[in-house]
Amino acid sequence: MAAPDADEHWAPPSARSQPHLRLLALAVRDFRNLERVEVEPSPDATVAAGQNGQGKTNLLEALYYLATLKPLRAARLAELIRFGADQARVEGRFLIRGAERAIAVEVSSAGTRQAYVDGKRAESLEDYFGGVSVVAFTPDDLAVVKGAPEGRRALLDRAVFNRFPSFLKESRDYSRALKSRNRLLRDSAPDAYLSAYDETLARLGARIWMRRRQLLCELAPLAEKAFAAIGRIDSPARYRYSLARLHPEEHSLPEPQLCTRLGEALRARLPHDRDRAFTSVGPHADDLAIELGDQRARAFASQGQQRALVLAWKIAEVENLLSSLGYLPLLLLDDVSSELDPDRNAFLMDYLARCGAQCFLTTTEPALVRRAASPSARWLSVRAGTVSPSHPPASQP
Amino acid sequence: MIPAPLGRLVAQLAKLPGIGEKTAQRLAFHILRSPREYAQELSQALLETVERVRLCTRCFALSDDELCGFCRDQRRDDGVLCVVEGIADLMAIERTREFRGRYHVLHGVLSPLDGVGPDQLRIKELLSRLGDGKVEEVILATNPDVEGEATALYLTRLLKPFGLTVSRIAQGVPIGGDLEFADQATLARALSARREL
Repeated sequence: MAAPDADEHWAPPSARSQPHLRLLALAVRDFRNLERVEVEPSPDATVAAGQNGQGKTNLLEALYYLATLKPLRAARLAELIRFGADQARVEGRFLIRGAERAIAVEVSSAGTRQAYVDGKRAESLEDYFGGVSVVAFTPDDLAVVKGAPEGRRALLDRAVFNRFPSFLKESRDYSRALKSRNRLLRDSAPDAYLSAYDETLARLGARIWMRRRQLLCELAPLAEKAFAAIGRIDSPARYRYSLARLHPEEHSLPEPQLCTRLGEALRARLPHDRDRAFTSVGPHADDLAIELGDQRARAFASQGQQRALVLAWKIAEVENLLSSLGYLPLLLLDDVSSELDPDRNAFLMDYLARCGAQCFLTTTEPALVRRAASPSARWLSVRAGTVSPSHPPASQP
Repeated sequence: MIPAPLGRLVAQLAKLPGIGEKTAQRLAFHILRSPREYAQELSQALLETVERVRLCTRCFALSDDELCGFCRDQRRDDGVLCVVEGIADLMAIERTREFRGRYHVLHGVLSPLDGVGPDQLRIKELLSRLGDGKVEEVILATNPDVEGEATALYLTRLLKPFGLTVSRIAQGVPIGGDLEFADQATLARALSARREL
């Protein structure tokens, strides 16, 4: 059930009434199994219902890809194209801070993509990301607490990217420098050559650390509050950064010192790293530690508790964008309701109904999401790659 | 049917970067309509370029002689050496007319992912140029990307023992450009490297 007192921790309702970001229309062509789909979403909730394998997640993924240029599920780009077609295209008409923008992306069968803003080619990714942000919530997310660290790093980095758009280039540069250093380790390059890449990696890594720290400073308290508001679990949640092979306090150093410390750690680990041909220290080896009470949730939390921990994180991400940047992202929920128990699902649905964000939900069971849908919600039915208007489920007793 | 020589000319022109079939045809027609001297001049210039232009033996810029114009120019300052990745970067710096020192062209950057190491670049040649003690400052003007930075750091370490000043070109918002058009990474970097007035 919704906890009414949760509101006081969150941004005031006045901020929510400003529609800074809204999708007005979505057109999808030859994307996954969707041949040609046009949707005019509701300003509130749009629900795509259908059986598994019919294409409702593909519809959500098309929108996610348009907003982030990343596939929602791991895939090569060419796999996004409908079988037998030459290219896939997704286009959205958005209202961004009062101005209407048409944003489109095409993927060719060669695996290349081209983005367009208002019909003109976007030269760089920076041109493209002019204020469309999305928070996606999928059944895969619900498993991150238990899963490998890379899932939690991805969860964290998606939130960092939404908050700090330059993080996209910064993290790409870091991973390029990391790959370069690993290649040098594998090729047994001389120390002088390797140390040039150590220093490059240390600078870029310090920047990643600083971004993640800034984000966690904002987000962790919100997530901890949201977790308390979800209720039914007495122990408090904690979300904190866990540095691989470095003292936890080092994470609070200013950026230049972070750079120095990472450089020292890289030098110290060099003999070990040369043996393994792999870099063993740095942001790529860290973890987002999620704790319940004083225990690692990964090992000790029940499945229901773990899901509540992710749910709280996602709500905090939305709230943090509103409080730090002043606008709500689009929310994409892929059949999450069937994975949550009834109370937590009700909490989520009530949150969606009152948070003010434009939501897109998929479900196999429309009754599960009807609480998120206002009378103005749009209901769609997805069957074998075609999308048609449908009706809200009959109200329950 | 277009005459075979014309077809060959169009095909050759179309191989040039940025030139499509249609543009190649337009260029070929233009050459055909021009006075005979133009074609002679053009073909001679082409041949001479590939036959006579080579790398300067000192700085590895383009030259038509043992030493290039920059190395031969007596008015330039021997005390300052600007290290660049390629000829295009040298031309860009030269266009500013601000820099009156000498150049050194590396012909690439250290890029492990592309298999380019120190031996593939003109680094040994750079170090041997510093032996005569004339150079007091080396400006590292490689690009501000991952490989350019790593190359600058690598060179810094090699150059330190020579006891000269090693400097790196500054990074930030382009002058004359609007802040609103600067990309996010550049702006973020410029903000973090701000200075007090």
